[in-house]
Amino acid sequence: MTKEVGIKDIGKPSKQLIKLRLEDLMKLPPPYDKPGEEPEMTEPKEEWRERYITELDGYIAIDVPFEKPKTKEEEQRLIQRFLEGLKKLLDKENNWTFLQPLMLSLEFCAKCQTCNDACPIYLASGKKEIYRPTYRSEVLRRIWKRYLTPAGKVFGKFVSGDIELNWYTIARLAELAYRCTLCRRCTQVCPIGVDNGLIAHEIRKLFSQEMGVAPKALHELGTVQHLKVGSSTALTPEGFKDIIEFIEDDIKERTGKNIKIPVDEKGADILLIHNAGEYLSWPENPAAFAILFEEAGISWTLSSELVGYDAVNYGVWYDDVQLARIAMKHVEVARKLDVNRIVVGECGHAHKALCVVADRVLADEYNIPRESCMPILWDIVRKKKINFDPEKNNFPVTLHDPCNMVRLMGVVEPQRKILREICPQFREMEPHGVYNYCCGGGSGFAIMTSMNFPEWRNKVATRMKFKQILTAFRDCIDPSIKKYVCAPCSNCKGAIRDMLDHYQATMKCGIYYGGLVELMVNAMVDIEEPFIEMF
Amino acid sequence: MLTVLQISSYVAFAIFVLVVLWKFVKYATMPIHLRWELYPVPHEPEHEHGGSFFEHQNIWQLERKHDKLNELKEMFEEMLFIKRMFLNKRDLWIVSWPFHAGVYLILAWLALLFVRAVLVVAGIHGLVPIADVLIQIAGAVGVIAATLGCLGLLIKRVGSWELREYSAGVEIFNLLFVLVVLLTGLYAWIKFDPHFDIAKEYMLSLITLSKMPSLPEPIVVHLILLELLFIYIPFTKIAHYVGKYYTFHAVLWEDAINKPGSEVEKKVKRCLQFRTSWSAPHFAGRTWAEEAKNPKLDVIERWKP
Repeated sequence: MTKEVGIKDIGKPSKQLIKLRLEDLMKLPPPYDKPGEEPEMTEPKEEWRERYITELDGYIAIDVPFEKPKTKEEEQRLIQRFLEGLKKLLDKENNWTFLQPLMLSLEFCAKCQTCNDACPIYLASGKKEIYRPTYRSEVLRRIWKRYLTPAGKVFGKFVSGDIELNWYTIARLAELAYRCTLCRRCTQVCPIGVDNGLIAHEIRKLFSQEMGVAPKALHELGTVQHLKVGSSTALTPEGFKDIIEFIEDDIKERTGKNIKIPVDEKGADILLIHNAGEYLSWPENPAAFAILFEEAGISWTLSSELVGYDAVNYGVWYDDVQLARIAMKHVEVARKLDVNRIVVGECGHAHKALCVVADRVLADEYNIPRESCMPILWDIVRKKKINFDPEKNNFPVTLHDPCNMVRLMGVVEPQRKILREICPQFREMEPHGVYNYCCGGGSGFAIMTSMNFPEWRNKVATRMKFKQILTAFRDCIDPSIKKYVCAPCSNCKGAIRDMLDHYQATMKCGIYYGGLVELMVNAMVDIEEPFIEMF
Repeated sequence: MLTVLQISSYVAFAIFVLVVLWKFVKYATMPIHLRWELYPVPHEPEHEHGGSFFEHQNIWQLERKHDKLNELKEMFEEMLFIKRMFLNKRDLWIVSWPFHAGVYLILAWLALLFVRAVLVVAGIHGLVPIADVLIQIAGAVGVIAATLGCLGLLIKRVGSWELREYSAGVEIFNLLFVLVVLLTGLYAWIKFDPHFDIAKEYMLSLITLSKMPSLPEPIVVHLILLELLFIYIPFTKIAHYVGKYYTFHAVLWEDAINKPGSEVEKKVKRCLQFRTSWSAPHFAGRTWAEEAKNPKLDVIERWKP
């Protein structure tokens, strides 16, 4: 068997390494099993080819110019800069944060390809070679061995394998780092524990931390804007306060309840931090949290301080120092408010970033407990702090497991225990829990919307999740039956929103989406009107 | 007077042990990394559904419980049966598992030879016949399983595009080298030493530092190749058992909380004093602690040719 693309082809001077075609992609279940049921794929515009990297698959994740060197000297400078970055990834002082996991994954992969079929992107693409989870890892491994190890320098490709380091290799590798959602399903099945997701993460870091190259949505409009303005959504503290007032009015209008949302209340037990995208795109989510927390008598507050009202931490996807900076700000806000603990709302990556990954950038006065909202919500249901009527949620519901909250953090059961209590038609996707598939919006993809990247996300990255959703609802796929995908994560919701829109699945199949707390409030006995807006 | 072959056996074994130890030390002395565990984590009491202590409130006040027994079970299932490959790549497991199981049996055979020699020296002759039976079983099954497995792995590695394309020449060479050692061993066993009497005698000579009478040439060739393999292994990926220990125990299952005053916190504080030299404009060449507390954000520029 021969394939059209091999490892060394990453450096091949050509317009585009592969071209995706609709007919090659993984087949979808009914009603999407017939031609014409989903939009065709498009070609990148010619003007994009001049400024951005379209040489991989024609799609553009890195929406900052990455121009081709005009001379050999310029190309050499690029290669040297890249190798300098790679050396720093392998250096104790510059990359203590991930040195050990990275070295293990570079050194010990047996290339057995056991991981391949665990990758939803590889499968959804119709097994395109460049999306094989080992492909980008092997490219980086070969560069490391060939250029930075004594054995590689002496024995050449006999020990490193064939690889040429040129502009094409570097540019394509930069894009390729953004064809993995860092879901780490591949690592779960690896007999040696090699982590291809981590290698993608480290490549992203190399480009960001050494060369200042990262998608705008993650860096300039992401972490930088977050630290400067207060939120990656550009929401300012004043804007935040206005939205809180709006949410209070909205709660009054929809439920009749007079709820004063606590903001900047010192000495509360909990500082609750939401993904600020909720305030702008799904204000019913923070509204539902406010209703539940107030009705359950929880001591809590929100913060209106810079960064303190936005739980996101895009640094976790591409840049360790940005991760540390945002985590420090979150904790600083909590310290000033003198709360006992920070609780993260329905945002998967914020869960992982603040509770798990950033756990080891905090010390001394910055070290305070950080937890998930899920056990608190389950506690409300379990202890019957609020009366729920499951009949109010008597429609098909399935649960999406956000990778960051579930596989990467182990918060698995509280959310499904709630659904089992309050949703009589709850059904699981397959596979689910820690073996779930990513929504396709992971690692920043949900918010990366430049040029044609959303097309790639909708066609390839979210395809497996869409298949799972259709399969979970196959017994009630008729559009007249309204169905609900519960996605307790802002970025997952964003990806699912775009997916449903792309495939017109709300119209064709009656599929809606939303968070967990909305379902809880929808089931509250003393709220008369439905809280969820699919009715 | 010891023979050159005997001396080289000590040297090969010593190099093997020392380099493997050095590799363990290299990974053991790396700085603490950010938490990067992956669920299910088998020592979590709620490992059945992949749960963690984060499923509870007030986690710092919780007394953490570890299901060490389940961690051992998971570890041994993976070590002895290569469970993840069995579940996810059966066509390769069919050859990989016999190879690995065969190697384990050969290592057991070597250990049994050593134990038998110690029993003989110590005069505990009653147990020697038991050792002889075990040596016969472990040696025979081990060399056959490992040889067939290794041959299968080589055929797969060369014959399958997805394995061949991702392999460097050295990875094919490694399998070839191991196969040659196994084949010479197989030949020596069948032709010259079916009951491993020479092997037992050789081990005894090594233990007692006594000279070994001359050996048949094929056995000498096999021993030389085996010694070279012992020296070679720790420098190659064949020693992936070192990596496997650390990937699981130091990364995927490592979930210690950084509580105030803890050992983790002490290590973190040391790492935060490391100085960065990243070149992107949002770095200023300060320590991690300084970089994190006082972000440099006012310059946005990127690499240009």
